[in-house]
Amino acid sequence: MANLTLQNVKKSFGAVEVIPGVDLEITDGEFVVFVGPSGCGKSTLLRLIAGLEDVSDGDIRIDNASVVDVPAADRGVAMVFQSYALYPHMTVRENLSFGLENIRMDKAEINRRVSDAARLLQIEQLLERRPKQLSGGQRQRVAIGRAITRDPKIFLFDEPLSNLDAELRVLMRVEITKLRERLGNTMIYVTHDQIEAMTMADKIVVLRKGIIEQVGAPLELYNHPRNLFVAGFIGSPRMNFVEGKVSAVAPGQVVFEAPGLPPLTLPGALAQSMEAAPATLGIRPEDFVVSRDAGAGWPVTVGVAEQYGANSYLHCTLAGEVPILVHEAGQSLARRGDVLYLAPRENHWHLFGAGGAAIERQA
Amino acid sequence: MSARVQLASAAGAILSLPARLIEPAMSGIQRGVGIKRMPWVFLLPNLVAVILFALLPVFINVFYSMSGSDRLFPWDRPFVGGANYQSLLDCTNYLDPSTCSRDLFWRALGNTMVFVPVQVICMIAIALLTAICLNRDIVGRGFFRGIFFFPVMLSPVVVALTWQWILQRNGALNGLISAAGLTPVNWLIFPNTAFFWSVFVTVWAHMGFYTIILLAGLQAIPRDVYEAAKMDSASPWRVFTRITLPLLKPVMLVVFILAVIRSVQTFDELYVLTGGGPGSATMLMVQYIYEVGFAAQPRNFGLAAAASLFLGLALLIFTGIQMRISRGGNND
Repeated sequence: MANLTLQNVKKSFGAVEVIPGVDLEITDGEFVVFVGPSGCGKSTLLRLIAGLEDVSDGDIRIDNASVVDVPAADRGVAMVFQSYALYPHMTVRENLSFGLENIRMDKAEINRRVSDAARLLQIEQLLERRPKQLSGGQRQRVAIGRAITRDPKIFLFDEPLSNLDAELRVLMRVEITKLRERLGNTMIYVTHDQIEAMTMADKIVVLRKGIIEQVGAPLELYNHPRNLFVAGFIGSPRMNFVEGKVSAVAPGQVVFEAPGLPPLTLPGALAQSMEAAPATLGIRPEDFVVSRDAGAGWPVTVGVAEQYGANSYLHCTLAGEVPILVHEAGQSLARRGDVLYLAPRENHWHLFGAGGAAIERQA
Repeated sequence: MSARVQLASAAGAILSLPARLIEPAMSGIQRGVGIKRMPWVFLLPNLVAVILFALLPVFINVFYSMSGSDRLFPWDRPFVGGANYQSLLDCTNYLDPSTCSRDLFWRALGNTMVFVPVQVICMIAIALLTAICLNRDIVGRGFFRGIFFFPVMLSPVVVALTWQWILQRNGALNGLISAAGLTPVNWLIFPNTAFFWSVFVTVWAHMGFYTIILLAGLQAIPRDVYEAAKMDSASPWRVFTRITLPLLKPVMLVVFILAVIRSVQTFDELYVLTGGGPGSATMLMVQYIYEVGFAAQPRNFGLAAAASLFLGLALLIFTGIQMRISRGGNND
């Protein structure tokens, strides 16, 4: 188990700067998820920690010792690859023991570790099979098992569930969370799936273009996104955005105006200086109060009403063709062409300034 | 109809024209032979080619090997039964060619049995080494790939003449040796050096082909397997023996079979380079067959045919064993 510190870590491939400088602190036993769109540098960052890539500048410290010059195998980290990267010609047992044989570990100890890992992951009956005789989920377990036998300080997962079907993905998500509770190691997990990030992480690191946009607990990111990018990325379905301006700030309420729409009064407090500033209003689909009474907010026209049974999603448009997605609990009665009136729930709205940064609300 | 739809239907009409032209003929044939025999109709063109150019010559060869005289046409040749085989196999001591009535056959056979394993092992080892080097991120990788493949495109006679120019008594190699103050060697005059250079030149001429196949095999091994091995503390030697070689096994088997067959067939390079000499030190089976059947007077087609059937049989047995092994390998 270990602390991990990234100090101004930079990585360039030739002239392309993939990671322009990352500082991050991960404490012992934390489950940290790197999340971001493809090409945001999250996998590169993981590979830098693993030692599969060399840093261009900066320092990586595990338990306060710099590891940038330490070979991958000696860093005390183990990695689970996206493609599993199992050795196709070896049996599951050989896959699990190969790394231990390489460091000339005692045979009895190897056997003990292999059977412990196999028992933990319930793959004991598969030990004599080869990877191609296994299903995707079983391969995934073997890949995790290979990491476990090495007894690393830090586990690294590179999009480990992306090759599994949706059902199995949910199952493995739970398995990994349980495993993590049992092992207690520091784990770093890379994904582009924000649901995985939300459900598994102690701490989410949102990355964009190699820059950390925000670090925090899942609900902290959900409730208080620091900027438009994080607001749009965390939460599914994504937050609705409407561009406009803050037309008036009064004690306890804010008036937001968007072109072609009636002014919307938002209960909450803002600094007086925000008045007349251009802003983007962000409201999550689940944060609307839906009404059929005119005047109870912005009018929207329902385009498509998706019925999930337990939930309904209404794909609507505001005046000016601004798309708005509305979540309704239960089975919605709305039909295509219906006009509904929307207002945000109290304190469940977000304002972002011209640069995309969140505008702080006042208590 | 829009222009696009019209264009598409016109293209469809043109493309289906051949099918529509042969359709009446094919349905006529199908009515004649019945639908069950139609596969044979489709196979016929290739079947005819294989029978005409591969199977028929084998049978003619069998007939020639059982007939005598130097007459070319089968109907002029008297049937002699197994006499040619008897003549080939007529030895007092099989380990000593000079006790055989066809001693040159046994010398060529002995040479081939030394040449093939040595040449194939050298070739695969060097080709593998080259492929591994070319698989790395080295400067000028494309250039080196071209360089190593280039000899494959040369005519065997060009290869042989080039190396003859290098290796002859006043050749380029001896020029360098003299310039370095050493004593020149008459490379192609001594049996051992001639044999060495025979192996060397044939390896040089053909290794590029196998290098490319092995390189493709190496590139088919996923990169992340190597990364996993790196995380698994595997030393470069362990990576080579436990990851690269096992994963390259299917490709290696193909390369091995091709290399052996080609090595057994070696003729043109050595015929030009050494002429099978000195004496018969570098004479291989195919050259023996050529000498007996075409160069010697009178031409002994029968004996040549018997020797080539002997060679064909040996290759057939070898390929059978290889295929069995490779099938076992694939079941792993």
